[in-house]
Amino acid sequence: MSGVFHLLLHAFNIVILVYFFLINIFYLLFIILSLVGLFRHRDLTRFVSFKEVFRLPLVKPISIIAPAYNEDKTIVESVRALLSLEYPVFEVIVVNDGSTDQTLDTLIMSFRLEKSRRVFRKVVDHRPVKGIYTSLAHPKLIVVDKVNGKKADALNAGLNISRYPLFCAVDSDSLLEKDALLKMVRPFLEDPEKTVAAGGIIRLINGCKVRSGQVQEVRLPRNALARFQVIEYFRAFLGGRIGMSMLKSGLIVSGAFGLFRKDVALQCGGYRAGTIGEDMDLIVRMRRHLHNMRRPFEIRFVPDPICWTAAPETMKSLSGQRNRWHRGLLDTLLYNRVMLFNPRYGLTGLFAMPFYLVFELLGPFIEVLGYLIFAACIVLGLVNYWFAVLFFLVAVVMGTLLSLLSILLEEYSSRRYPRLQDILVLTLFSLLENILYRQWLTLVRVIAFFDFYRGKEEWGAMQKKGFAQAD
Amino acid sequence: MSPSVILSAYSLLFLLLFSLSLFGFIVIRRLVLERRQRRFNRLYEQIEKDVLEAVSLVRPDFSLEVARRHRGHPEVLTQVLLDFGDILSGEGRDQLRAIFNYAIKGLCLKRLASRRTSKRLQSIRLFIIFFDPAERDFLFRLLKDKPIIKLAVINALSRIPSPETPDYIFKAFEEDTGCTIQAYFNIMFSLGNRTEPLIKEFLRKPLPVDKLGLLVELVGAILLRTLFEDIVALAGHPDKEIRIRVARTLGKLLIPETMDTLVALSADEAWEVKAQAVKSLGKFKNPEALDILTSSLFSAIWYVRYNAARGLAELGEGGLRRLKEIAGQDDDKYARDMSVMVLNDLIIPGEAA
Repeated sequence: MSGVFHLLLHAFNIVILVYFFLINIFYLLFIILSLVGLFRHRDLTRFVSFKEVFRLPLVKPISIIAPAYNEDKTIVESVRALLSLEYPVFEVIVVNDGSTDQTLDTLIMSFRLEKSRRVFRKVVDHRPVKGIYTSLAHPKLIVVDKVNGKKADALNAGLNISRYPLFCAVDSDSLLEKDALLKMVRPFLEDPEKTVAAGGIIRLINGCKVRSGQVQEVRLPRNALARFQVIEYFRAFLGGRIGMSMLKSGLIVSGAFGLFRKDVALQCGGYRAGTIGEDMDLIVRMRRHLHNMRRPFEIRFVPDPICWTAAPETMKSLSGQRNRWHRGLLDTLLYNRVMLFNPRYGLTGLFAMPFYLVFELLGPFIEVLGYLIFAACIVLGLVNYWFAVLFFLVAVVMGTLLSLLSILLEEYSSRRYPRLQDILVLTLFSLLENILYRQWLTLVRVIAFFDFYRGKEEWGAMQKKGFAQAD
Repeated sequence: MSPSVILSAYSLLFLLLFSLSLFGFIVIRRLVLERRQRRFNRLYEQIEKDVLEAVSLVRPDFSLEVARRHRGHPEVLTQVLLDFGDILSGEGRDQLRAIFNYAIKGLCLKRLASRRTSKRLQSIRLFIIFFDPAERDFLFRLLKDKPIIKLAVINALSRIPSPETPDYIFKAFEEDTGCTIQAYFNIMFSLGNRTEPLIKEFLRKPLPVDKLGLLVELVGAILLRTLFEDIVALAGHPDKEIRIRVARTLGKLLIPETMDTLVALSADEAWEVKAQAVKSLGKFKNPEALDILTSSLFSAIWYVRYNAARGLAELGEGGLRRLKEIAGQDDDKYARDMSVMVLNDLIIPGEAA
C-alpha cells in the first residue's frame, strides 16, 4: 500500500515538474517572439507616415459599439473620448443595457439626445430595444436603450444598428487614445481580405490623470492590487498576446478594445447569447467558422494602439472579475470542444486551444495539487526541505524574471511610465506578486471552475469611481 | 546533497544572476536613453534655431555654414530636416535642401543600401522631401526591395512630378502579388488625373479581380469622367465585386448616359449589387428613377430598402411625396418603417435649419 502511495506521489511530482518546466518555456518563447514582433513593428512604422495614408478614401468606416451597464460616473467622459477620436468616418453606438442608475439620463442630458424613429435590420437576436436616441449636436453618436441582456446581447444590438463594415467593440468605462483607431486599422488596410479581427493593448488607468477624455499624465496606481495588475497586463498583452499572434494562435482580442470585420462576425451569428467571455468566444467561433469554410484568415495583434481601462482595486471585485474570466474560458472551450486536438482546425485546434486548456484552464488545479501534495509530504515527513525551499525560490525568481522581461517589452514598445522610480516599484511588485497574490488568484480560478458547474451567472461588476482628473 | 538539490541550487543561481542582469540592463538602458534624450533635445534646440535662421535669411552661404556646423550630428540634423521639411515649401525648403545636400545626403545614399530596414526607410523619407531628379535611379532600384520599402518608394515616387512616375507605379502594381495592393489605391489617388491613360489601358487588361476592382474604384475617387464607357463595359462582369464597384463608381461619376446601366444593375441577381445600384441611382436626382426606387423600397433586403428610401429622399419633392405615401400605407410594414425613419431623419435637420 505504502509502495503504491509513494509511486503515486512520485508520479504527481513528475507531472508538476514537467508542467512547471513547460509553462515557463512557453512564456519565455512568447516573450522572445514578442520582442521580435515589437522590433519588426517599430521598424515598419517609425518612418512611414501611416496617418497620411489613412486619411485617403480607401479607409473603411468603423462603427464603435460600447455597451454600458450602470456607468453613469464615467460614461460622459468615455463617450467624449470616443467622439474625439482621429478617424475619417466613424459612428459611436452606446448600448445602454438596461442600466438601473442614471446612465441613460446622463447621456440624454449631456449630449442633447432626442428619440429617433430609426429602424434597423435584426440580423442577430437580442433582447428588445426600448428606444434609439440621436443627437443633432453630435451626429456621430447613437444611443440605444434596451432591456438588460448582458454584454454579448448589448453588443449584438449594437451590431444590428451599426452601419459600417468594420466594428470596434469597446468597454464604455475605457478610454481610447486619439490615434488608436488609425493604428488599429492598419492590418485591415494591409490585407483587407484576410484580416478579420485585430486587438490592441490594454493599459490600466488607475493612478493616471485624465483631461478631456485623454490620459494626460501616466502614473502608477497607489493601490497594491492595481500595481500587481499593471505587471499582469504587461505580461498578458506585451508578452502573451503578441507572442501568440506571432504564432498565428491568438484566441483573445480583448473585449475592451477589438476591431472586427462585421460580415464575418455576422456569419458566425454575432456574439453568443448568455456567454460570459464574449470576447474570446467570438474569436474562437470566428476561427472555427473560417476553418470550416476553408478561408484563409488573419487575426492580428497590433502593439501600439492603446486603450486605458480601470482595474479593480478591492479583493472582492478583482476575484469577481477573475472568476468571470475563468468561467468564460471554460464556457468557450467547452462550447468549441470539437476543435480541441482536431487537425482540421490547424494551429487553433492543435496548439492554441490545447494550450489554453492545459495551462490556463487546468493550470490552477495543477498548482493547487502541487501545494496539497507538498502539505501531505510535510505531514508524512517525506519532504526534502532543501529541495522544497530551493524549488520555491526558483519558482519565485522565474516568475520575477518573466515579469522583468515584460517590463523590458514595455520599455521597448512605448515606455509610458516616465519615471525611473516606476521601474523600481514595478520590479518590487514583480517579486511580491509571487507571494500570496498569485496563490490567491489560483484559488479564485479553482473556485470559478466549480461556480461554472453550479451555474453561477454573476457578472462580478466592480465599483465605478470615475477617472482622476488632471489639474 | 542529492542531485535534485544541486540542480535546483544551480538553477536558482542562474536565474538570480540572469534576473539581476536584466534588472540592471533595464535601469542602465533607461538612464542612458534619458541622458541621450536630454543631449538630443539640447542639440535639437540648437540646430533648430540655426536652421530656422537659415530659412528666414534665405542666404545660401549661411545655410552652408549651418550645414558645416552641424554635420557632425547627423541623427539630430536628420530629425530637424524631417520635421521642417514636411512643413516648409518654396525658398525655405530650398535652404533645407542645401543643408541636406551638404551635410547628410552622402550618408543617406549609403543608408539606402543599408541592411537595416529602418535606416533604408528613414533615407527614403528624406529623399521624398528633398527629391532631386538625378537620384531617381536610387529609388527605382529599391522597387525590388521588401514590400514595406517598396511601398515607401512608391509613395515617394508619387510625389515626384516626373512624367515617367505613373508608368513605374503602374508597372509595380501589375507585378505586385503581395498584400500591399490596397496601398496602391492611395498612391495612385494622389497622382490624380495623370493616371487617366494608364487606368484606361489597364482596365482592358485581364487583371485579377482585386486589382481590377481597385482601378474601377479609383475612377470614381479621382472622378475620371471620360472613362465612363470603360466602366460601363464592366457592368456585365461575372464577379459581383466588380459589378458592385461599377455601380458605386457610376454613382460618383453621375454621367446621364449611364443611368440605363444602373437601372439594369438594380435588377441584378446579387442583392449587394442591387443595393449599390439603387444608392447610385438616387444620387442622380433624376425623376426618371422614381419608380425603380419606389419598387426597390419594397425589396425583401434591408439594405436595398434603406438605399432606396435614401435615394427617394435625394430626389427632392417627388421622392419625398412618394416616401410620405409609403409611410402612410399598411400593406408592407417594412417599407413603411423605412420611409418613416428616413423622413424622420430629414425632419430633424430641417427643424434645426
